[in-house]
Amino acid sequence: MPAVDPILVVENIVKRFETQDGVLVAVDDVSFNVMPGEFLSVIGPSGCGKSTLFNVMGGLLGGYEGRISVGGETVRGPHASIGMIFQEESTFPWRTVIDNVAFPLEIAGMAKVERTEKARHFIDLVGLNGFERRYPSELSGGMRQRVSMARTLASEPKILLMDEPFAALDEQTRLLLGDKVLQIQQDLKQTTLLITHNLTEAVQLSDRILVMTYRPGKTKRIVEIALPRPRNSEIVSSDDFGRYVAQIWSDLREEASKGLKDDEARRVRSGGAGAS
Amino acid sequence: MAQTGHLTQSPPRAAAPWVTPVTRLRIIILLTVLIAWEAVAASGILLRDVVPSTLTIGRSLMEVLFRPDLKVSLAGAAFSMPAFYWHLYVTILEVAIALLIGGTSGLAVGLALGANPFLAKAFERYLYYLGPTPKIVFFPVMIMWFGVGPESKIAMGTVSAFFPVVLSAAAGMRQIEGVLIRVGRSFRLNTWQMVTKIYLPAMREPIVNGIRLGMGVAMIGTLLAETKLSNKGVGFMIIDAYNTFDMPRMYAVLLMLFVIAIGANSLVGRASRR
Repeated sequence: MPAVDPILVVENIVKRFETQDGVLVAVDDVSFNVMPGEFLSVIGPSGCGKSTLFNVMGGLLGGYEGRISVGGETVRGPHASIGMIFQEESTFPWRTVIDNVAFPLEIAGMAKVERTEKARHFIDLVGLNGFERRYPSELSGGMRQRVSMARTLASEPKILLMDEPFAALDEQTRLLLGDKVLQIQQDLKQTTLLITHNLTEAVQLSDRILVMTYRPGKTKRIVEIALPRPRNSEIVSSDDFGRYVAQIWSDLREEASKGLKDDEARRVRSGGAGAS
Repeated sequence: MAQTGHLTQSPPRAAAPWVTPVTRLRIIILLTVLIAWEAVAASGILLRDVVPSTLTIGRSLMEVLFRPDLKVSLAGAAFSMPAFYWHLYVTILEVAIALLIGGTSGLAVGLALGANPFLAKAFERYLYYLGPTPKIVFFPVMIMWFGVGPESKIAMGTVSAFFPVVLSAAAGMRQIEGVLIRVGRSFRLNTWQMVTKIYLPAMREPIVNGIRLGMGVAMIGTLLAETKLSNKGVGFMIIDAYNTFDMPRMYAVLLMLFVIAIGANSLVGRASRR
């Protein structure tokens, strides 16, 4: 196998925030590479700086130390090679499904006929054909998230960056959408970076999983997921799947309980301050 | 999942009866008012001429609408037409220009205030206090600046329309979901694209509401100014009828004004829906 250069290189990222209680180190010296076509997940407890990392990589958040490069080129601000999918509801409610998906193409100045055709292709890909003329308010949460996904895919990013895109959905919808992601990943050979706090989702989808520590967010471990591909959601019943989940949970458990204690302590403090 | 689309479509409604209870109530209220008016007119409690009978008002309305009492010479041809339409034309033009100037400047300033917290902090206080102030107090100033003609009426309408538009645009901009802006940034939109593709469509509702309110107060400002000092416009017509003690005529013009105001409002309301 010939040596392939990583498509995304993240080197020694440190991001600090000034808060009322002093300086908060949200991301502390995180480094990793992503190979072309690879699916990497970053998992960690709430408050570990995952979303900060997402915004830094997407170029939406500046003022950090370290370096992010795509294909050897340093990222400064939003980069054409990186397509973002957000955790929140992010479809444009005033546009139909097809106009939502065609949005990046419209911005790129593509002619109407051409972009409509291309948008149709990506709507097919996420399995929403028949809903082209509907408005987001007429769709379910899972369908809307797929519209967002198609919209970002339509910009044909080299790297797909997702921040807990299924967090607001129920478990069954989540597993089925996971299948969709696996299939798209396979069809497009799409390099993907998923930020998540969901264990099964991470193991179901990833080639590698980076486990982050709770505050400050450091790399705790990077786990290779040697499950066979192509995969689908049925893999959740296999023994290997269970072993990976257990292994990552043992890493995560400690961090998650730290986060929980910290959160409780903070609530006690703020409650006490309110009472006195 | 495929069914979700159908569920949200409005279910086929059973054929509504021609007169719904709400419509019936509305008709009853309208009839009650008419009967009460007629009763007061007939009783002579008030001066007969102050509350003329509906029949007299109706006759006057016909005169206002159809009697050609204004000689016009247009492009060499001389003909007559009811003066009402000429005055209405003046007033509509005044309101439209006022709304255009007040609306666009209000929108621009509102966007600037919504985008820039520093500016908002500095100036929005003034707007909140000036907004509800009766603008008619500026009328003497406007007459001095712009004269007694339609210009000073347009100025009054403009000042009135500006405030609701600027306030709702600024508030609307701040209500936009942050994630939509981040989507725009991630697709690397420039400032112009951000405004036209994200901010304005996302603010459609507050902007339309602002324009609706703006149109209302622009009408008030313009008409009020016309009744104070002018020689044309519907406001002038009303006050002229009052000064000559032609009460039926005054009521007739007022009635037409109501109808037109309601029509204009529902037109803007319809424009706000797709």
